[in-house]
Amino acid sequence: MTKTRNCILCLLIVMFMLSGCSVNSSTPNQKTLTLWYWNRGLDDKLIQAVQKQFPDVRINAQKIGGDFKSKLKTTLAAGSSGPDIVAFNDWVTELFPSADRFYNLYDLGAKELEPDYLDWKWQLGVTPEGKMIAMPIDTGPTALFYREDLFKQAGLPTDPEEVHKQMGTWEDYFKAGEKLNQAFGGKVKLTDNIGGIYTQVNAQSDSVYFDKNEEFIGETPASSMKKAWDLAVQASQKGLLANTNSFTSEWNAAMNNGKIASFVGAVWCKQILMDAAPDTAGKWRVARAPGGDGNNGGSFLAIMKTSKHPKEAFEVMKWLLNPDNQVTAFKDVNLFPSATKALDAPIMKEKEDFFGGQSTGDIFTESARGVKPAYFGTKYANLNGIVSRELQAVALGKNPETAWNAALKRVKKELLR
Amino acid sequence: MGEPLRQPLEPRQVHAVSAKRKWSSAIWKHRKEYLAISPFYILFAVFGLFPILFSMYLSFQKWDGISEMTFNGINNYRFMLTDPEFWKAVRNTLLIWIYSTIPMLFSALVVAFLLNASFVKFRTFFRIGYFLPNVTSLVAVSIVFSTIFSNNYGLLNYIFSLFGLNPVEWLNHTWGIQLAVSFMVIWRWVGYNAVIYLAGLQSIPSVLYEAAKIDGASGVQSFFRITLPNLRPIILFTVITSTIGGMQIFTEPQVLVGNDGGANGGGLTIVLYLYREVFINNYFGYGSAVGWGMFVLIALFSIFNWKMVQGSGAK
Repeated sequence: MTKTRNCILCLLIVMFMLSGCSVNSSTPNQKTLTLWYWNRGLDDKLIQAVQKQFPDVRINAQKIGGDFKSKLKTTLAAGSSGPDIVAFNDWVTELFPSADRFYNLYDLGAKELEPDYLDWKWQLGVTPEGKMIAMPIDTGPTALFYREDLFKQAGLPTDPEEVHKQMGTWEDYFKAGEKLNQAFGGKVKLTDNIGGIYTQVNAQSDSVYFDKNEEFIGETPASSMKKAWDLAVQASQKGLLANTNSFTSEWNAAMNNGKIASFVGAVWCKQILMDAAPDTAGKWRVARAPGGDGNNGGSFLAIMKTSKHPKEAFEVMKWLLNPDNQVTAFKDVNLFPSATKALDAPIMKEKEDFFGGQSTGDIFTESARGVKPAYFGTKYANLNGIVSRELQAVALGKNPETAWNAALKRVKKELLR
Repeated sequence: MGEPLRQPLEPRQVHAVSAKRKWSSAIWKHRKEYLAISPFYILFAVFGLFPILFSMYLSFQKWDGISEMTFNGINNYRFMLTDPEFWKAVRNTLLIWIYSTIPMLFSALVVAFLLNASFVKFRTFFRIGYFLPNVTSLVAVSIVFSTIFSNNYGLLNYIFSLFGLNPVEWLNHTWGIQLAVSFMVIWRWVGYNAVIYLAGLQSIPSVLYEAAKIDGASGVQSFFRITLPNLRPIILFTVITSTIGGMQIFTEPQVLVGNDGGANGGGLTIVLYLYREVFINNYFGYGSAVGWGMFVLIALFSIFNWKMVQGSGAK
């Protein structure tokens, strides 16, 4: 009696401890590849199709919810075997110091694919030492989203090309903002917030905080840091901002109620805008951004060093990201292509009702081709956070000079850490 | 003490030699009992003790979470003590704690008193009603509150406009953010503390009140002379739990105003600061140091509260 009780107890404990481990149910010849990505980071239909395309591969695709980056980093930190294939967002540079935790894709044959992709995007996944750790999924070319009706009422041009002609620079764009203020008595603002302008000016630049040697270049004339800061401050001082943080419920409401006439954003803002402001359908247009073409966001795939099947993983990746499948992914989940051939696909020319029948794909493909290659540096996010916080304070009334000095001081402290 | 008082003393030498064996044999003799309680201790060792010790070690290292750790001496602690953002976070946390805890415990006491009063009908209904916020998802609550306190389209500003008042940009001010967070804490924890107080109230013998009544004490007098002194240990318990909870406040400001703590960092609490340094800025070692800094703060604060609540009634 006591023995059976002991046995049951032991079994319970063992089961309890084992329950964390999963059991693989693949056939002996199949190779299981684990893939980590986030919702809408890849096209689910394509992932399912991998099984058919590669009969000897069993793909175990896991959507990692919540804060993807922290979960990936804690997995890497724990040193345990993570996934085979993993998706990165534009924070890919943060992983450059740990490049040896990933396969160099050039060793697996990525070199021959290079001409098929947008060069600036491809280079974002290559370390300064020339190791390619990540392969492009999608891009986030930026453009100016604007309300045609509001521009018309303020006496501004409404045709995308005219808009771009008149608002080719940020300064001209702000002038249009002043006109809007006059026409609507300040009830309709040119754009959303101070951080948005800072981000977008930097998104158009080829050097922001660091050069390829990881040296801080923010104070050199080549860097767009101060220029972006000054433009952002200028917009705030001229009263052109609605001061609503991007993609919050406030932002959604302001967009839907027509309190904001325009904003510069990446192509993925399209979906967000459509969800946020359904009442304004048909009234929006897209033009080339003031200040030039830029990129904001866009993700990558990489293969972890712990993977036992790097060759198969690379083949799967190559197939998932080939130009044809990028067109499919654009159709299914709006992932804007990084392969040049995919940019020429007829679907990019489709007219969109939300944008009054304009085919915004034309604008975004132009923008995608015009982006300059940039190097972000491993501490980009840290520095950007510091500067954005000080800018936020400026929008709320802090003296810009004091704020700039405080930001620089904090940045220098950060660089020594 | 179940042992007989007059136990024959063993010679010291024998005692020393057999101590170890006695120990292990005692464990072996009770192995089933130890096995039965082992799951808790194993889980505690893995998920509690080890992380605590490891974070102690980590707080002296420089680590981005992926590459090799390097020894960093006391630099993490030095950086923490000289970082104005850290002190801002400490200040914010204390302010939010004060704004929330005092009204919260006071209203919990009032609610408990009312629930205990004989004239209240449907007591169970009210008890459940007050407790309900405590089991609601924190993120959902934060989202609801963010629409209430929202700058331009918030419910509160809508109500203000009905009375012809100017809208207040709550989330553009340090105090506004802290007020909103405090409201969330109060809303969530009044019921919980009220239920605890209620248990305390019900354990006070009614004879005391009856005796006081006969001696001509008023309701207020019996509240201050009987109820409060008898509730003191329970008040101490709630003060300490809300200190620990209040020092660790995180989800409310994070969902309300984001990782940066919103306008001028008004919602940047210590844990939010820790989270940002670790998971946004990748300073795992530094984050551990902040965790230990927080430990010291909570300990100091709890001792302070203990002394205050215990001391004030020692007349």
